This record gives sequence, C-alpha cells and structure tokens, in this order.
Amino acid sequence: MNHPVWDLPFLGSGWIIGIISIIHVSIAHLVVGAGIWLAVMEGRAQRAADGEQQAWLRGRTKALLWLSSIFGATTGVGIWVAIGLVNPTATQHLIRAFVMAWAIEWLLFVGEMATLIALVRAYDRLQPRQRLILYWLYALCAWLSLVVINGIVAFMLSPGQGWTTTHAMWDGFFNATYLPSLLLRTFVALALGGLWALAAGGTADPALKPRILRPTALLVLAGVLLTVPAGWYYFQSFPPAARELVLGNLKGTTGLAQGFRWALLGLGAYLLPGLLVLWALFAPRSFRRPVAVLGLLLACWGFGGFEWIREVARKPFVIREVMYSNGIRVDQVAGYQANGFLPQNAWARTFAASKGDTDLAKGEAILRSQCLACHTRDGYRSLKALTATNSEEDNVLLIQGLRELDPALNPYLDRMPPFAGTEQEAEWVGKYLGSLKAK
Amino acid sequence: MTPLPIPLPDPLPLPMHPGALKALLLVTFTLHLMAVNLGVGGSLIAAVHALRGKPKDRELVRRLAPLLPGAVTFAITLGVAPLLFVQLTYGPFFYTASVLTAVPWLALIFLLMAGYVLLYRFVGSAGSETLHAASGIGAALLLLSVGLMLVNVTTLSLRPDLWAAQAAASPHGLRMNTLDPTLWPRYLHLGVGIVAVAGLLLAGWGAWRSHTYARQAGLRWFIATTASQAAWGTWLLVKQPAPVLDLLLDGRSAASLSLWISTALGALALLMAIPASQDGSRPQAVWAPFGLGLASTLGMILLRDQARDAALAAFGFHPGALPYKTDWLSLGVFGLTFLGLAVLLIVVLRWVMPPAASAKEEAP
Repeated sequence: MNHPVWDLPFLGSGWIIGIISIIHVSIAHLVVGAGIWLAVMEGRAQRAADGEQQAWLRGRTKALLWLSSIFGATTGVGIWVAIGLVNPTATQHLIRAFVMAWAIEWLLFVGEMATLIALVRAYDRLQPRQRLILYWLYALCAWLSLVVINGIVAFMLSPGQGWTTTHAMWDGFFNATYLPSLLLRTFVALALGGLWALAAGGTADPALKPRILRPTALLVLAGVLLTVPAGWYYFQSFPPAARELVLGNLKGTTGLAQGFRWALLGLGAYLLPGLLVLWALFAPRSFRRPVAVLGLLLACWGFGGFEWIREVARKPFVIREVMYSNGIRVDQVAGYQANGFLPQNAWARTFAASKGDTDLAKGEAILRSQCLACHTRDGYRSLKALTATNSEEDNVLLIQGLRELDPALNPYLDRMPPFAGTEQEAEWVGKYLGSLKAK
Repeated sequence: MTPLPIPLPDPLPLPMHPGALKALLLVTFTLHLMAVNLGVGGSLIAAVHALRGKPKDRELVRRLAPLLPGAVTFAITLGVAPLLFVQLTYGPFFYTASVLTAVPWLALIFLLMAGYVLLYRFVGSAGSETLHAASGIGAALLLLSVGLMLVNVTTLSLRPDLWAAQAAASPHGLRMNTLDPTLWPRYLHLGVGIVAVAGLLLAGWGAWRSHTYARQAGLRWFIATTASQAAWGTWLLVKQPAPVLDLLLDGRSAASLSLWISTALGALALLMAIPASQDGSRPQAVWAPFGLGLASTLGMILLRDQARDAALAAFGFHPGALPYKTDWLSLGVFGLTFLGLAVLLIVVLRWVMPPAASAKEEAP
C-alpha cells in the first residue's frame, strides 16, 4: 500500500465496501431491469389504450426516480468513497487504466437521470409516443451503463495477457469474463427489476392486477431461468486458478468455506422467486406484496452470494495477476523483498517514526500496510485469534515463510499475497504479531 | 529534514494531455457547482421562506420546491465526473487526505442520503396545506454539511506538511482537518457563495417568469450573502499558506488577476443588485448583476484551481508535467457518446419545455 492505511478496528475496512456495494449493486441492477420493464409495460398499455395502467405506471416511474436518485446515486458515490478509503492504491490504478470508460459511463448516467426526471416532471406535457421513446431511452442508458461498468468489474477478475502487455484500455475492457458477466448481470437485472415491479403491483387495484402481474411474472421467470445457464457460462470463463480456488474451498471449516456455503445457499435461494412468481402468473388477484418482497430479498441474497464469490475468486489479488489485495503490484514484490518495504514506503515509515521507530513499531507499520486490507487485529479475520497458539518464533517463521513465491513452499499463496519485505522486516512483523497476545 | 510522506503517483500514464484533463475537470466542476447552487442553496432559501410562512412566501416555495430534488440529483450526478478527474490528476494528495479523515469523508454519503430524504419530505409537503419547514431546514443543513466534508478533504489534500501530525492524532481517521486554518473560512466562503448564487438564479427565474417577489427575494439573498463575503473571503485569503498568499497578492500572476477581477465583478454585481431589488425596479435590471455574479463565480472557480496548483507546487507537484499517452480510440468513443447525449438532451428539452405562450405569467 503506497498510501496511508485506514485502520478500522474490529469490523475491518473491507466490510465498508461490502455493505455499501451490496446495497448499491442490488439497486443498480434493479433499476436497469425496472427500466426495461417500464418500457415494455408502457408499450403494452399504449397499444391496448389502457389509461388506467398508464396512470399506475406513472406512479412507478416516480418511485423509480426516488429509488435511483436517493439510494442508487448516493450509494454509487459511496462506493467511490469506500474503495478510495480501503484500497486507494488499487483505486488509483483502476482510474488511470479506465478513466475514459468511467467518463463514458458517467455520460450514460446523466442520460439516465435526465430521461427519468423528464418523464416524472413533464409527464403531462409529453405525447404518448414521446413518453414511450423516453422510457426506452431511459432503459437503454441504464443498460448501457451496465455494459460499461461490467467491463471494469470483469477486468479485475480476468485482466488477460493482452492488457498486461499493452495497458490499452479496450484490451482490458473486453476480457475473458466480459460477455458471460454481462449476460448474467442483464438477467439478474430483469429478475430484480421484475420482482420490484411485482411488489408494487401486489397492492394495485384488483381489476388492474392481472394486467400488471402476468407479464411481469413472465419477465421475472425469464430473468431467473436465463440466469442459470448464464451463471454456468460465467463460471466456466473464470481463469483456471480462480475456478480452483472456488472448487477447492467448498468443504471444511475455514472462514472461506463457510462463506462459500452461505453464497451457494444464496444461489439456491435465488431460484425460489422463480417458483413464487407462478402465483402471480396463475392467480394474480390473490398475489400479495410480501410474497414479492420475500422473493426480492431472496434474489438479493443470491446476487450478493454471486458478487461475494466473484470477489473471493480474485484472491489474493485485487486485479488478478497485476495487483495484490493489499495494493502491492506483482512487479513490486521482488524489489521489496530485496531492498526492503520500509525504505520504499513513505507512509509505513511515517507510522513507524510516530511510534519511536522500535522493532515493534516497524512491524506494526508493515503489518498495517500489508495485512489490514483483509484482516483486523482482533475482530474480523482476527490476526490475534489466527496466531493465538503461536510462539513469537512461530510467528516470525510464519511471516518469513510467506516471503516464498513458490506455491509448493507457501501454501497460503493461492489466497494471500506473499510478504513483500526482507527477512528482517518479516521478523519485525512476526514480533508485532506476538505482541498482540498481551493486548 | 524528513521528506513529506507524499505517495508515489501510479505508474500508468494519463490517457490524454494533463491540460485537457484540467479543462474537463473545470467544466464538469462548474456544471456540478451550478446544480449544487440551485439544489442546496435553493433548499435553504425555500426552507427559510417556508418558515416565514406569509402567503407570498408559501406561494414562492410551492413554485420553487419541485425544482429542488432534480437539482440535487444533478448535483450528485454531475459531481461524479470532477471527483473522477481530480482523483486521476491529484490522486496521491486526494486519497491520502481522504484516508486521514476517513470517517467524516464516509459520513458524507449518509448526510447526503438523509438530506435527500428530508428534501423529498419537504417538497412533498409543498403541494399540501401544511408546509414542513423543519424538514426543509434539516435538508438544507444536511446538504450543506456535505459541503463541509468535501472542503475538509480538499483543504487537507493541499497540506502534506500537516499529514503526519493528522495521522498521529487520528490513526482511525476520525478527526476533521482542524489543524488547517483555512478549513472554516473556506467552508463559510463556499456555503455562503452557494446561497448567493442560488439567490441570483431565483432572481433570474423571477425576471423570466415575471414573478416580482421571486426576483426581489432572490436579489436580497444575493446582496446579504455576497456582502458577508467581505468577512469570509478576507478571512480565507489571509489564512492561505505563504506561497499561495504571495502569489495571490503579487498583482501580476494569473491567479492574482483571477482573484482581483472576480472580486471586482462580485462587488459590481452587489452594487447593481441593490437598486434592482427595490420596489418599482424594472425586471430587466436583474440581468446585469445576474451576469456579473455568474462571471464572478466562474472567475472564482478558476482561482480555486490556480490556488490549488500553487499550493501543491510548493511541495514539488506539477500536474502539467504528469506523463500521458493519448488514447484516441477511447476519446473517440467518449466523443460519440457525448454527441449522442447532447442530441438526447436537446430533444428531451424541446419535448418537456412548456409552450412559449405560457412562459410569461403575472404574479404579485
């Protein structure tokens, strides 16, 4: 980590990204699906000259604006804030690599907000055909913003040899997981947006309900069912090491295995809304909002599980084969191991100096820079608990062992970055780890 | 002397000339700030008029309120781009400052969300008998506090000499940048400026829609807040670090010219706003202070950038010297998307604008 470290006790800073991201990506995908749903439904209602349904859709348009502007946009900014705090070095690298993609996505976001606000604020002034065009333009802008952001998210899992050689943006953008990820996310968006619409339709007038719920239930069903092959296709596109990491950690009692089990349960739960919507399809008059809300929560759990697996499959990297999760680039490790981490890291030096430059202070400074992106001292992934039975010598040997770059000699290498420092620095970190017992 | 802990820049080159990125930063920041002026400053003005509660105030609030949520939405949307460009060019400074004051920086999101919810509550009440003025005041204060969090990080990013002390005093990122004497004057200068420009926009809207009370009230807001800048602006100026202050006062540099010209334009706008706000003044009298006030704001935006570069130059950072490699393909896609968006916005505006015949309406 080239920057100072945000030392967030107990919870760990990574969870801040996790919590904000789960909320944001759920809303962001939901509004993409809801945008497509609104355009389809408005078109149907106009063709059927169904004024009652159009008036009802107008209300949903307003609700979508509230959802996307209050919670979607703010949590979107929240992700920017959070990733910059938790891993500023990686954020800076991604921005340098993809700034034009983000700029393009920003234009699309402006288009998204402009069309939605125009629909809400000037609904009565618009001709029906203009309204329908705006609904489709909104849906297109929202989906295209997914098309763009998907390239950056997929890049982090599979940047590919092309980009690492050329550093050309489009080489990284159209990477091995790009298309499967886009398909998967599009179908998830349809499912989430449709479930949101079903929740809204659950309280509609009884006479109107069937006209809303039946086509919406079909949309959800399509989204859920199409997610299955898209998910399989996506998983097959994983880099082999990422696939092995997932498949090799499904059993056991490790935190990783427990996490995978929760995520897999979520993937199972994601399918349940496919059954729940049959109620809306075949008995729409008796369908109730809580059923749709339950379906939406289950789908969000499944989607969260998918996102968690994608994040974990990158381990030990934040950008696979390019940068480790602690912000150290792969090409920096040899230099740090040969010449020392502290002499080349201004913020670790500053921290050590603020604590008197003792061996323990230097150890803590290096540990903050290299370990706190994923661990805490005594909370989530507690270093204190993980080394509770170790002697000081064990800890020193452990950290020195983490310097190994050969997977046969360093069994942690598939999920944890190598220690990027000298033997002496590893000893300081080992001693600091030992000192945690007394705290 | 120990070198300052300024992180190394990222090894990847910028995707275009730093000057072009600077232009994008300034253009998008200007658009963002105008939306902030309308959304945040407008919220405060609307909430205060709701508190006054007289019939003409209530009528004004009912006209103004529906514009506010959209303005805040655009303030957020348009704010993402300058946030992106500032991270691209000034990353080592921006990220360091944000981590050192992480908790207030992260709090920005929750303040924004809470402010937004209250704003919708306030705006929702505008159509009913009972105006929720307290919600409006709460929304305006929360949205203004978002500005404080932004100023907090911005000021700290310009003071690498304070970073080590800030980190030692606050290892978990809890503290605000209170070691920096520019924090409070800069925030007051910004916050008061936001309300001033909102007043100008209200006055312009009043003149356009022949709404006398809006025109006069907007100008009075502008006059009161701009006059107070004599205190906040001067306080901010004298608290600048020595290299920046010397540059601003030398009377020759571009930064110094920006300072004096925009101050003069602001003062002239103030002087012309006073007669234009009186009973019996012509609606057209608004446009001179309106134009001068906006020109002053643009000058201040330029000055802000020049002062930033001057502050960082003192620490050896020169954004114009950053390595770059122009990515023409990406620029082309960006350009095409921009053109597409421009066409879309023009079409949407044509569709949603009220017919010209109904644009003018008489009001008290």
